[in-house]
Amino acid sequence: MKKLIPITIIILIIFGLAYVMSGKIEPQENVRALGKFYLENSYFGDYSAKSPEVVTAILWDYRGVDTLFETSVFFLAIIGSLTLFRLNKKQEKEAKERIEKVEELTLVIKTVTKVIVAMILAVSASIALHGHLTPGGGFQGGSALAVAPLLIIAAYSKYALEKQGLDKTRALILRSIGLIGIALIALLPLTKGGFIMQNQPIFPWLGGSLIFYNFFEYLAVGAGFTAVFLLLAIPEKVFKKILGVGE
Amino acid sequence: MIAFIWSVIILTLIATIMISLYGISRRPNLVKKLIALTIFGDTANLLVVLLGYRLIYPVAPPILPSLSKEALQTFVKTAVDPLPQALVITAVVIGMAVNVLIAFAIVQIHRLYGTVDTRELSKKLIQVEGGEQ
Repeated sequence: MKKLIPITIIILIIFGLAYVMSGKIEPQENVRALGKFYLENSYFGDYSAKSPEVVTAILWDYRGVDTLFETSVFFLAIIGSLTLFRLNKKQEKEAKERIEKVEELTLVIKTVTKVIVAMILAVSASIALHGHLTPGGGFQGGSALAVAPLLIIAAYSKYALEKQGLDKTRALILRSIGLIGIALIALLPLTKGGFIMQNQPIFPWLGGSLIFYNFFEYLAVGAGFTAVFLLLAIPEKVFKKILGVGE
Repeated sequence: MIAFIWSVIILTLIATIMISLYGISRRPNLVKKLIALTIFGDTANLLVVLLGYRLIYPVAPPILPSLSKEALQTFVKTAVDPLPQALVITAVVIGMAVNVLIAFAIVQIHRLYGTVDTRELSKKLIQVEGGEQ
């Protein structure tokens, strides 16, 4: 009841202001000049990026260096998380061993998780690899991919994931492959007399080098988040023992 | 009517931003600060996407429907602005990575000091500094 009063006041203010405002503002019906330039030039035109998907064209061609630095911010954030939870080799081995048996979840949850994880992998790959033709791309596909290991950690355990061979080191290697791939493809146009991060429509696919950018970004984002989630899934007890605090 | 709904949407987003700013600055609990921060970031992203929207019918996503010059004419007339979308795509994922970093820092603080309340935390930090001198 006590919370209802401020909420009502806020809602009343919003609707009152909206009533006053509605006569004065014009709902926007046109794109700005810069947006119009991108819409007209992305496939046809003199400054073409040869991509029918305008958002991907902006992301990896017109404002490619922008995205490159965004990726480096992402890289730094993941590295920062890993540094906060850093372990030496002995501690890492310790974290991989299951200390006590915990009660497992029921068969229903495990079977459903198996099916859903397979579906998530397929959908995320589709989002990333069709990114140059349909809505989607490396960032979105990678975020969708990162949900799959999270589900496995919740339904089984982090040990099940590590037993199948996907441990923190491998996830980091996959992420590094993604980042190196992006850097190499960004430098590739320089050898052909183009600008850095220019789209290369010479490649056999319609999107040119966009599909490679999307694929490598997909790897980098998905594997980076997987590494972080694996670290987050280490039991509290093990971590407190490693840090040497509390009991 | 459309102008009224349009201004209601804009004002609601601005009100959400103000409430989340209140949450960031006034809540003592670090986890609640983080929740308010995520709300703030997502609302800001939504505002940026809204900047590129067009209030017309029909409105189309910024993807060429077919590769011909005739299609380009109707496409430019109906498509929304692609630039804010391209900015938001990266901002969402970067925001998620930065949130993970902050969440890790909070988890580590809880392990080391046993609390996520900023008032108690400042007391404990003063104790730790005093002990070392």
